[in-house]
Amino acid sequence: MFIEFSWLIPLIPLLCFVIIGFFGTKMHEGGGYLAIAGAAVSTLIAVLVSYEYWTSAAFASGVPYVASMEWFAFTSTTGSFVMNVGVYIDSLACMMMLFSSFISLLIFIYSVGYMSHEGNKKRRYYAEVSLFLSGMLGLVVSSNFLEMFIFWEIMGLCSYLLIGFWSFKHPEGDAASINAASAAKKAFLVTRLGDVSLMGGLFVLLYAFQSLDYTVLFDVNNIAAVDSNMIALAMLLVFGGVIGKSAQFPLHDWLPDAMAGPTTVSALIHAATMVKAGVYLTARAFPLFVQVEYVMLFVAVIGGVTAFIAATMALNNMNIKKVLAFSTLSQLGYMILGLGAGGYVMAIGIKHGDPALIAAGAAGYVAACLHMMNHAFFKALLFLGSGSVIHAVGTEDMRQMGGLAKHMPITSKTMLIGSLSIAGFPLLSGFWSKDLILESVMDAFTEPVGWVFVILWTLAVITALMTAFYMFRMWYMTFHGEEGHAAKHCHGESPRTMTLPLMILSVFAAASGLLILFGFGDTVCIGFDGTKFIVGNGHGHDAMYYLEHIFTNVYTYVTILLALLGIYVAYLMYNKKTLNPGRFNKEGQSFIYRLFANRWWFPEFYDQLSLKLGYGTACGVDFIDKQIIDGTVNGLSSSVVGGGEVLSRAQTGNLHSYAGVVVGGTIILAVIAVALFYFMGGI
Amino acid sequence: MIPIEFFLIFGGILFAIGAYGVLTKTNAIVILMCIELMLNAANINFVAFAAYNGDVLGQTFVMMTIVVAAAEVAVGIAILLNAYKSKKTTDVDELTTMRW
Repeated sequence: MFIEFSWLIPLIPLLCFVIIGFFGTKMHEGGGYLAIAGAAVSTLIAVLVSYEYWTSAAFASGVPYVASMEWFAFTSTTGSFVMNVGVYIDSLACMMMLFSSFISLLIFIYSVGYMSHEGNKKRRYYAEVSLFLSGMLGLVVSSNFLEMFIFWEIMGLCSYLLIGFWSFKHPEGDAASINAASAAKKAFLVTRLGDVSLMGGLFVLLYAFQSLDYTVLFDVNNIAAVDSNMIALAMLLVFGGVIGKSAQFPLHDWLPDAMAGPTTVSALIHAATMVKAGVYLTARAFPLFVQVEYVMLFVAVIGGVTAFIAATMALNNMNIKKVLAFSTLSQLGYMILGLGAGGYVMAIGIKHGDPALIAAGAAGYVAACLHMMNHAFFKALLFLGSGSVIHAVGTEDMRQMGGLAKHMPITSKTMLIGSLSIAGFPLLSGFWSKDLILESVMDAFTEPVGWVFVILWTLAVITALMTAFYMFRMWYMTFHGEEGHAAKHCHGESPRTMTLPLMILSVFAAASGLLILFGFGDTVCIGFDGTKFIVGNGHGHDAMYYLEHIFTNVYTYVTILLALLGIYVAYLMYNKKTLNPGRFNKEGQSFIYRLFANRWWFPEFYDQLSLKLGYGTACGVDFIDKQIIDGTVNGLSSSVVGGGEVLSRAQTGNLHSYAGVVVGGTIILAVIAVALFYFMGGI
Repeated sequence: MIPIEFFLIFGGILFAIGAYGVLTKTNAIVILMCIELMLNAANINFVAFAAYNGDVLGQTFVMMTIVVAAAEVAVGIAILLNAYKSKKTTDVDELTTMRW
């Protein structure tokens, strides 16, 4: 009934984008209310569609709802292809569109307060965020990789525009404008690197499967007909796109810089939508990813390394938004790690036809999806909370804050909930998903090359400790201790349009993880029964399985203790001040401190690499152009000119020399003719 | 009948004399005369072969050659006259302005 109209979900924000783009200046709040209305309608349709799908017979039998029509067809030397455009609704898509549209709606409401001083630039802001939402929702409901890729690129464009929102007329002056412009450029170029890889992967898939439709690609018979090396190549290339979009190591460095955009944009891009697109793509293409186990191993390693490296960078950063940015990277690493570890176990299960292993691997998928949703809630909450703080004190430097808890009670309390949740405080949402991810990594210990997962698990547990520490370091530095320089002229609590989304989000941030106890693991999961992949009903585990798994495992308590330890250390260092952080880092001079503060010198590495590589390539190309191509052309022309110069000396003007040449030539020809006559015996 | 070799050797000698003159003489008038010798050497060959083959075509061609030679002499003398007017000489070693 409603599900036939699921194509409206991305189209309504797109329509809002067009209307706001043309008429925004004539509307209230630069079209902000229309953007909110568009997001609200999309959310409503998403709710109705999800409800209908989850109560339908298709869900009960574990098949997606697919509707598509032909877009274009073409024939080439490798075959004839038909490209479709349509919708593909399954549990994963439902979950994604629910939380991304809902959180975007809250962010749009919040924007009315946060962007209230922007004047005429509001039109641009609301048009771009609407297009952005359209890109995300379109990506979620797409029925094939080509359609997905188009929306993927729309988001890339919008992230560029939004990160560079203040690339001119920045409220803090020209230096900040230049910073925003270069951050936008960096985000665009770095993700483009991944997108090229993704596009290459799609070409390989198209070549191998003769189609890009999900229904064709995820069909077990079609997969079996394709060389597994081809799938491995395609999936590694597709994962390259994920590395770019979801800011995984080694392409992670654009995300911290992207904090140059407005805080609402950070919340939108880095919590609810864009960076989740990479994780979503990995989850979406899971049936293909699990065909080759070492691809999943690679995915897991990238995720684990990202989680760890990013968390270390957050430890000593003084910028409230940068801390959250590194935390986002770290949590994305967790999701990728969960998918990788679960997929690895599942791949081995599929190889040996072992249903127990397949089910164990599916738990990793569930954990990563749950973490994706939980993270969307608590990270959106934290970003919006930090935006509320920045709005009130006018700085992002945490050293100038402090003691804001009494000025901003709502922001402080909601951010506490978000911090507790992300730190993995027992029974809050981050706890469930993070522990399930750790569980799924442990499941891989007994498989071949399990030692890799032991290392990754250790990294992930240390990351959990660091997460708790840096989140509470941020919270205490911002809201407790003596009042800093900027905190003295705090405007007080933010307006209602900003605090209301914070309160709503804090409820979800605290409780969304509890969904695992109410059938989440049964709903958003992946199964394989030997004949087909099933996303959704009936093949997951019930709540008791997860409860039992979490609470009978001794390592769960280790993680809880580490999280509490991290919170306690942060409390001692930044609230009670009995523990001087300077003691551990030689007052900011130690190597480790500088390593973290300089982001492991990744930006320098990028710069050097691009300088050496880019400049070197440019020099090489320049050499070829100037010396070889131009040299050939110039050499030809100068040899013709020079040759003419030399040969013109033959024109002496002396009649006798001409006559001599003619007669001599005739004599030579005659001699040759006679000689031919003599030796060849006539004509 | 006189054997054809006599005519051919005579034509060859005549041609060699003409060529020698073209290569060694400096007076442009003499060179033109030498060219005429060479042309007539060729004409003798034409006539000789025509007579011996009983084919009138060679003699016809000689008429053609004589006409062309007359025209050539007319043009050549006219050029020489103009050259003499401007350079006051008919010595080809002096007339070397058409050079690089």
